[in-house]
Parts: sequence; C-alpha cells; structure tokens
Amino acid sequence: MRKFFLIASFLFCVSLLIHAEEAKGHKVSFEKNSDGFWRVNVNGKLIPVRGAGGVLAPGMLETFAKEGGNFTRTWGIESLEQKVTGGARYIDKAKELGVNVMAGIWIGHERHGFNYSNEAQVKKQREIVRAAVRKWKHHTGIAVWGLGNEMEGPQAVAGNPKVWQELEVLAKIIKEEDPNRPVMTVIAGSRAEKIKSLLKYCPTIDALGVNAYGAASGAGKDLVKAGWKKPFAITEFGVKGFWEASKTPWGAPYEPTSTEKAKSYYATHKLVTQINNGKEQCLGTFAFLWGWKQEKTSTWFGMFLKSKEKLPQVDALVKAWTGEWPANRAPKIEAVKADFSGKAVAANKKLIASVKATDPEGKPLKYDWVIVEESKAHSVGGDKEYEPPSFPALTLINNDPECVIMSPAKAGQYRLFLTIRDGDGNAATANIPFLVK
Amino acid sequence: MMRMIFTLAFAFLMTNLSAQDFGDHKSSTLTSKAWTELGKNNSDMAITYANKCIELYMKEAEKMQKSLKDFTAQEDTPKYWALNDVGTCLYIKAQALLKKGKKKEALATFKQLTEKVKYAQCWDPNGWFWKPSEAAQEKMVEMELD
Repeated sequence: MRKFFLIASFLFCVSLLIHAEEAKGHKVSFEKNSDGFWRVNVNGKLIPVRGAGGVLAPGMLETFAKEGGNFTRTWGIESLEQKVTGGARYIDKAKELGVNVMAGIWIGHERHGFNYSNEAQVKKQREIVRAAVRKWKHHTGIAVWGLGNEMEGPQAVAGNPKVWQELEVLAKIIKEEDPNRPVMTVIAGSRAEKIKSLLKYCPTIDALGVNAYGAASGAGKDLVKAGWKKPFAITEFGVKGFWEASKTPWGAPYEPTSTEKAKSYYATHKLVTQINNGKEQCLGTFAFLWGWKQEKTSTWFGMFLKSKEKLPQVDALVKAWTGEWPANRAPKIEAVKADFSGKAVAANKKLIASVKATDPEGKPLKYDWVIVEESKAHSVGGDKEYEPPSFPALTLINNDPECVIMSPAKAGQYRLFLTIRDGDGNAATANIPFLVK
Repeated sequence: MMRMIFTLAFAFLMTNLSAQDFGDHKSSTLTSKAWTELGKNNSDMAITYANKCIELYMKEAEKMQKSLKDFTAQEDTPKYWALNDVGTCLYIKAQALLKKGKKKEALATFKQLTEKVKYAQCWDPNGWFWKPSEAAQEKMVEMELD
C-alpha cells in the first residue's frame, strides 16, 4: 500500500512537472503580420481568429474544429471544466482538437448587485481572479484571458469609473500570475465614451473585445475614431438583436429567417476583418452562438437547433472564413407566407401558413410547424430565460410546406415556429408572430 | 369602339395618377410614402416615390454631402434633410428592386448610395440614427451569397 502511494505521488509530481515545462514554452501575444494586420501569435504561429462563443454542448467542439474554427471563448472560468464528449473536460477536448480558448473570467456587474465601492466584495473578487489564473495558467489549451464580459453595463454610456479602475487592477493581477498570455476585456458595443474610459483607466489591457450585433460591422471604424490603437476582436456578433429589429404593433420583434441570418454572419465577418476601417486592428471574430439558447425565442441567436442540427448561419460563417461552402449545407428558405403575420386574430380560428424552401443538395425536406407562446422574459445582456410552452395539438395539418393551424383559445401573444430538416444533420428556421385577441 | 378605347385609356390614366400622389413634394413626404409602399410590398410604387425624391433633391443632397467630412452629430441631422432623404430613398429603391428580383439594378443603386450620398442618416423608430450607406454596404456583401 505504501509502495503504491509512493509511486502514485511520484507519477503525479512528474505530471505536474511536465505540464509546467509545457506551459513554460507556451507563449501567446498579439502582433502584426507582414501585411500590418494584428494576429494572435500562438507559440510563434500568427493566426487570425475564426471564433465562436458557446461551443459547450457535447459534440459542438468537434463540429467547430471540423468546420475550420480555431478559437472559442467562454464567459466564466467554470466552463473550462464543463463535461463534453466522452466525459472529457471542455478545455482538454479543445486542446486535443487544436482549438485555442479565450478563457473568460467573469467580473461582477453592478446590475446584478456587485458594488465596486464595497471593499470586501472587491477584495474577494481579486482573490477569485488570482486563484483562477493560478489554477489554469499551466494549461496550454488557454491562449488568452478574457477578463470580464460587459461588466461596465450593457446599456451604459461611459460606465462607472470605479469599474474601469478595478478592471486595471485585475488585469495587473493576471499579468503578475501569468506574464505569458495577453489579456482581453469585453464590452458591449463600441461607444466612444467607453473606449475613452478604457484608454484613460486600463493601460494594461492588451486588446478589446466588442460585443455588437446590428452595429458590429462598423465597430472597427468606431474604435479607430475613438483613438483605440491596440488590437480588437468582435467577441459576439451574428444576427441583429431583437432590441434592434422592427416590431409588430404589440411590440414583438420580427425575427429574420435562418437564411437571412446567414447573410448577416457572412457580411459582418467580411466587413469587419477585410473591408471596413479598422480592419488591420481586427484579430478576428467570435460568432454568437455556436450552440442553442433560449433568448427572446428558441432560435434567435443559436446557430444550431436544440437537437443539434446545423443551421445556415454555420455554413455562411464557414464561407466567410474559408471562401468555400461546406460539402453538406442547410436548407434555404426563399419565402414564408402568412396573412396573419404581425396581425391580431380571433381565438379558435383556422389559419394557413406556407413556405418555399429548397435544399442545396436536393435532399427531401421535412417541415414541422408549432405554435409557441411568446416569451414574457424581459432579460438584458443575455441573462438566462425560461422556455415558453408550445401547443403542438393546434397544428391541424403538419409535415408539409403548407400548414393549417388553429389559433389558441386564450388571448395573448404567440409565434408560429417552422423548423425544416433535411434528415442529414441540417435545418432551417423561421417564425411568425401573431396576437390572439 | 373608339369611344370605348378612349374611356378605358382615360380610366387607366386616372387610376395611375391617383395611385401616385406625391403630396406636397417635400423630400420627407416622398421618403415616408416610399417606406410605406415598401412595407406593403408595393415595390413599383416604392420605386416611384423614391425616384421622385431622388429626381427633385439629388443635386441638393450632393451639395450637402460635399460639405461634410464625416457623419454629422445627431443634433445636426435635420440640417442635412436632402442628403438624408435622398440617401434613404436610394436604400428603399434598392430594397424594392431586390424584391422584384432585379439584383443588378439593386447593386448599382446601393453603389450609387455609398458613392454619392455616403453621409446620409435615417431615424430608426427604435430610437437611434442608422446609416443607409453602411446598411447598403452590408447588403452588397450579403448579395455575394446569392
């Protein structure tokens, strides 16, 4: 027993030493390539970020790597240990697949109750950040530290100076613990006031992450105009936010179809990295969200269905990254027709909706129509939301490009969701908001 | 027979004349009408109103464009009314052309917008100004996928 214990301890120490040695050689920085474009230098190799956020569900990392993605980001440090395929830790699987990780370290938000004037809270947060870096700095799957996500307030103009000042302290803590990796902080949007605050209070930050949706393609231009000279990345982008979309008379946002969303992903990545002002400073982009999420609707931001089928947004991003379409593409929605779209209807009324869709490889398509109650959540900044109830029994004729539904008996706001599957791992989505009076 | 032809022609003319009502011919009126028609999927009427605005105010818009080096501050946008309305109408026209399947013409219109009236701005009812030329540029890149 003693012998076994001694051998086990010896092997554990050797493993630690190996990791430490490996980590010693692991050096990441931001630098310009020969064309003057900022890139991530990972152990001597300059790479543009072809990134995505999320990528946490089992199987998503494999899909991401297969499609050509090379960088993911997480929001909280605990995500590194999330179990993925085969029970492996997220960070280990990412490393195995050659995917670099920007490891997010969550920083308290004032809107959630964190008080940057409270010494005890601030002290505890500093200890948590230091401990997180100390724990993970030897893992060579981590390329960049992502310090905070919209901690200045998603709707803030300039943000509280105390938040920025504390960000600087935390960035210095990270650098003390790990001088071998750069630090990026992530803010909401590219307002000049926020950039000026960062310039004034946070000289230790190596790069800026900008979360932007409708305005993402112009972010580089805004940063340049505000005087930002270091590199930046678009750390969340994709489809126009529901807060930016046109609305029905009762305020429900019209959601683009997956085909329309795909175009946004493609255009934004291309514009911000290749065309618009500031492109030379752009390290790359992280698309939101390589997975599934309930936020306003069950389909607004996800690039996959909950059942893991790939949506056209993925194909468009691959095209933007590589110039080529993937071999097996998602269906295309040409048009959705419903006279009741954006209108009030009587209860218990038969309604008809139809779609014109095609499959790029000519595969037969399956259509699934279902009424879902409109979400009553009014979250801000991506906070978690509940999944509203659905009413499959109200779809009288389904599995066809044309459906017949019965409007619910109860007055209220609803959406008719359409999911089209090609039976080969791909899908397309659309929905139609309506009101029962 | 001639009488019938004349009556029919007159009725057709009256229908079309009353269908396109340019109102007071102000750029804001024409732009508003163009938006309304685009929203109703009446692409032809949207183009008609947009074209009228462009025809009447492009010269003034270009003069305003020349006077600027960048997008103007929010509080100054009303001063550049012709620039904003012509830019918006070019965007509406291009969108209407896309709906009609006329991609080449739409692309040319988007290009005209980004080249001639780049600094136009348009008020979004959600509470901010958006830039037709930036939106046009996005659309032009999106069209690469078609």
